[in-house]
Amino acid sequence: MSTYSDASSVSAPVPRALRRAGFSGVVPALAFVAIFFIVPVAALLLRSVLEPVPGFGNYAELLGSATYLKIFANTFIVSGLVTAISLLIGFPVAWALAIMPGRLASVIFAILLLSMWTNLLARTYAWMVLLQRTGLINKMLMGMGLINQPLPLVNNLTGVTIGMTYIMLPFIILPLYGVIKKIDPAILQAAALCGASRRQCLTRVLLPLAVPGMAAGALLVFVMSLGYFVTPSLLGGTANMMLAELIAQFVQSLVNWGMGGAAALVLLVVTLSLYVVQLRFFGSQNTGGR
Amino acid sequence: MLLNFDRLGWWKYALLTITILAAAFLLLPIFFIAALSFGSSQWLIFPPPGWTLQWYGELLADRRWLESAWTSFKIASIVTVLSVLLGLVTSFGLVRGTFLFRDALKALFLTPMILPVVVLAVALYAFFLRVGLGGTLAGFVISHLVLALPFSILSISSALECFDKSIEDAAILCGASPLEARIRVTLPAISHGIFSAAVFSFLTSWDEVVVAIFMASPTLQTLPVKVWATLRQDLTPVVAAASTLLILLTILLMALVALARKVLKS
Repeated sequence: MSTYSDASSVSAPVPRALRRAGFSGVVPALAFVAIFFIVPVAALLLRSVLEPVPGFGNYAELLGSATYLKIFANTFIVSGLVTAISLLIGFPVAWALAIMPGRLASVIFAILLLSMWTNLLARTYAWMVLLQRTGLINKMLMGMGLINQPLPLVNNLTGVTIGMTYIMLPFIILPLYGVIKKIDPAILQAAALCGASRRQCLTRVLLPLAVPGMAAGALLVFVMSLGYFVTPSLLGGTANMMLAELIAQFVQSLVNWGMGGAAALVLLVVTLSLYVVQLRFFGSQNTGGR
Repeated sequence: MLLNFDRLGWWKYALLTITILAAAFLLLPIFFIAALSFGSSQWLIFPPPGWTLQWYGELLADRRWLESAWTSFKIASIVTVLSVLLGLVTSFGLVRGTFLFRDALKALFLTPMILPVVVLAVALYAFFLRVGLGGTLAGFVISHLVLALPFSILSISSALECFDKSIEDAAILCGASPLEARIRVTLPAISHGIFSAAVFSFLTSWDEVVVAIFMASPTLQTLPVKVWATLRQDLTPVVAAASTLLILLTILLMALVALARKVLKS
């Protein structure tokens, strides 16, 4: 990623003066990040082993109680579902985007960007209204005669999954598009010349070539979903709380900083280790998240 | 053949159908909200029985909505200025510096981008309770700056990496002072990076809700917090009106970015 300036590309031992060159420029930001990012986060995590009494009691409670384990499980289930559905929809869309005429592709790109840039709350609100009992979706389904009773589409797993997929879809399409765009069409032409059918070309050539990109994009969406707060709490019910909501609840309504810190550490460890996996395995891939 | 649009046979239509459906899935809720904000039904019935500007009227008549929008605008503007200035100084240090641990520092500066926002929100909430910055404008600015700075450093340093430093050196040889050369030669050359840093910083702050929920006080709240608090009570069409104004702002900013890219890159 980093391109080296002239001074650092010198292979001779770096002179002492250069070891500090340019450092003064990063001092203000470093001080800012240290005081307002590192210290607060470290303090929060420390409280998990200090309050109410020193020790690992909070972690024992968090990882040993059925209530909290259910929330962890639910967080992983929602994130997994959202990732799987985004991938299923995202792959064909990215594939089509990579090969369709430029004019049409730029319209689709504009739609992707508009959706990404639109305020998250506005988008979540749209789904709250669309999915309610008297909402448009239920009305249409009843109008078509598919259902007699309105379906419960909101304040449950369905609502969270629809809302989160809606938010994550652009995040998986863009990196996948980059991966498919980079594939040399000659490879597929060669497969076709050797007698491969269309289906064989897809399953044995195109998909294997796209797998690293798919894995990287899926991991990114999965990790992002794990920490989501706003959409799950507005579209989900109390029965399917996610980890981020649990952290907020520990701190806001229960004022239990020890447990809040412990839950935050769990989320942080899972998130950062998945990012490390992503960098280790797909570091060379362009994942859009950079 | 699979990468040639015209030789896909019926697969072409299958792919097109999925793409158009996905695009509709992404676009329709946004249109739906805009249509709803002009609908006369208080229960958000669609299609509405009539059209009205009533919800916009309520929005503009309510002092708390206007105040929260103004608060959001103030915070986002201050964050934008600080984020660009800090991002500039830091990027020069990161791109041209040769000090130890330079790459590790860059990674540290980008960490807030990948951290789950709720962790930062809770951590800063606790920290500000201790130092007395909770519910203050400064608290909002600081916490949004933590989130906006990585975008700013990323945009400006990638623009600076593409800039040939010898042009700046040439200006110095021609008699400009180092600072003058930086301001009059380098800054204009990386202006597109500075511009995207500004837009990203503004939007990061303007749309941010998770940290803001924890920072807000009864007397000081941002627009997203006001939307959030309203939504917890009911789905009033006033929120549709507020959302539509936010969507319009998004479209305006996107157009501005597209225009700036044309102007600044040419």
